[in-house]
Amino acid sequence: MNSMNNNVNDLVNDIKSKFKVLNVEHPKENQVSFDFKKEDIHSALSHIRSKGWVQLSMLTCIDWLEDNEFQLVYLVFNWEQGIRIQIRTRIDRDNPTFGTAVNVYPGVKFYERDVHEFFGVVFDGNPDSNKQLFLENWDDMPPLRKDFDSVAYSDKKYPVRKYKADFSSKAGDKK
Amino acid sequence: MKEIKLFVGPQHPGMHGNASIHMYVDGDIINRAYLLPGMLHRGFEKSMERRTWMNNIALIPRICVPEPDTNEMVYAMNIETLAKIQVPERADWIRMLILELARLSAHLMAFGGIGGPTGLYSAMYWAQADRDLILTLFEEITGQRIYHMYIVAGGVRKDLPKGIEKKIIEFLDDLESRLPDYEDLVLNNPTILARIKDNILLPKEVVWELGVTGIGMRSATGQEYDIRKVNPYAKYDKVEFEVPTATYSDALTRMTLKYREMYQTIRIIRQVLDMMPSGDVRAKVDDGSALRWKVPKGQVYSAVEASRGEYGYYTVSTGETKPYRVAVRGASFPQGLLGLEKYLPGHRIDDAPLWFDTMGICSPEIDR
Repeated sequence: MNSMNNNVNDLVNDIKSKFKVLNVEHPKENQVSFDFKKEDIHSALSHIRSKGWVQLSMLTCIDWLEDNEFQLVYLVFNWEQGIRIQIRTRIDRDNPTFGTAVNVYPGVKFYERDVHEFFGVVFDGNPDSNKQLFLENWDDMPPLRKDFDSVAYSDKKYPVRKYKADFSSKAGDKK
Repeated sequence: MKEIKLFVGPQHPGMHGNASIHMYVDGDIINRAYLLPGMLHRGFEKSMERRTWMNNIALIPRICVPEPDTNEMVYAMNIETLAKIQVPERADWIRMLILELARLSAHLMAFGGIGGPTGLYSAMYWAQADRDLILTLFEEITGQRIYHMYIVAGGVRKDLPKGIEKKIIEFLDDLESRLPDYEDLVLNNPTILARIKDNILLPKEVVWELGVTGIGMRSATGQEYDIRKVNPYAKYDKVEFEVPTATYSDALTRMTLKYREMYQTIRIIRQVLDMMPSGDVRAKVDDGSALRWKVPKGQVYSAVEASRGEYGYYTVSTGETKPYRVAVRGASFPQGLLGLEKYLPGHRIDDAPLWFDTMGICSPEIDR
């Protein structure tokens, strides 16, 4: 257990000495999160990958509507040490573009397409960034943004139909 | 020969779930292939943001039908981490029992599932019949056959029913005595071997490139990369089990590992039943009704080892009664999308369902 904690401490010191880290948190045992400036993300990803965090578990995005920012979260895992890192950064919500990380983690390609489709973040350099993946013929704003109201969309897209006869109370009625 | 555009699935006996492969074929060789996901898109992640923490428990098991309990587990683990709840010890053991029974049923389904694309329907019938016996056990424990909604934040919903241990042991004895028949039927069967031996290779470099986890990763790297060993949750550090590995990953190897893992799962369940203490099974997350729980602010990721690989949720809470965001990391995302696009070409059309079966692909967790 102690060696595990030492590993985490070594990692935190190493990252702090090489990059300007805005914030470090320990959400749970064997997990640590770093907040970087957006310029530092790609060099930080390369550095962390070279240190043994070869597994990219996921890239996801969080819409902080009140701050007018998107937060990108790269989750990486080290199978030897069992330590997971959250690599986080915030980008401007009005102009959501970011550089792709396919050169560091090739597996991120489809996660970037996923984030592009659901949040509208454009990843420069991702070859298929603009192709549609999950949402066929989508005609509204990216649906996982916080200001997208799924109920209002469904009411608009599929209005309540008027039926000629009323069947709603017939089922189970006694004659 | 002229290139032909071909769709396999979603209405196809060889397809696993509601997805389709859009392929360009020359004769019966695949030149290019893409997965068309989105056919089961229920907007799980968006729906979760509209529901309370407790309401979501009815929604999340639907993200993977053959093995729904991993969803409940990672969701509960995240809430417990954020709210700093200590789960009662007995609840942890019951969770392991549920997760391992679910793994056994998922492995049976995938192992017998090879019968679909290869035409060996006996394997499928046997496996489904045995899986049904597990579902009956689940029904007795949780009240439900498929979606159990049993693992909740703070522990499990209720204690085990009386006498269930005996029934589980009887079932395990029965299954274990018949597992060699499965080996004879599938792994020693020349018709199946002709299809799966040295076919659908997954080299070590490709594993790292795609980020494949689970059996795919262990069959190629030869390392015990299993979250139950590397980063144990519940009480997995207290039980003894082996993680089968291999260094040459073709479809046959992955099937063999799946088969060997079933024995290990049975071994774990026996230990769990032996070592389970008595006591409380549920701790409170917050005061008052479960529908008005507030979970403290924070961002955390938890993952478990599902039958297909690393399965995790990233949960963001702002201290409200509803989650601010829940992101799902489906175990089949890398091999289902990038893997299929890059490495399926060159195979024959009839290998595509084998790819799906032996890589372990479950389409709802790609759609989310």
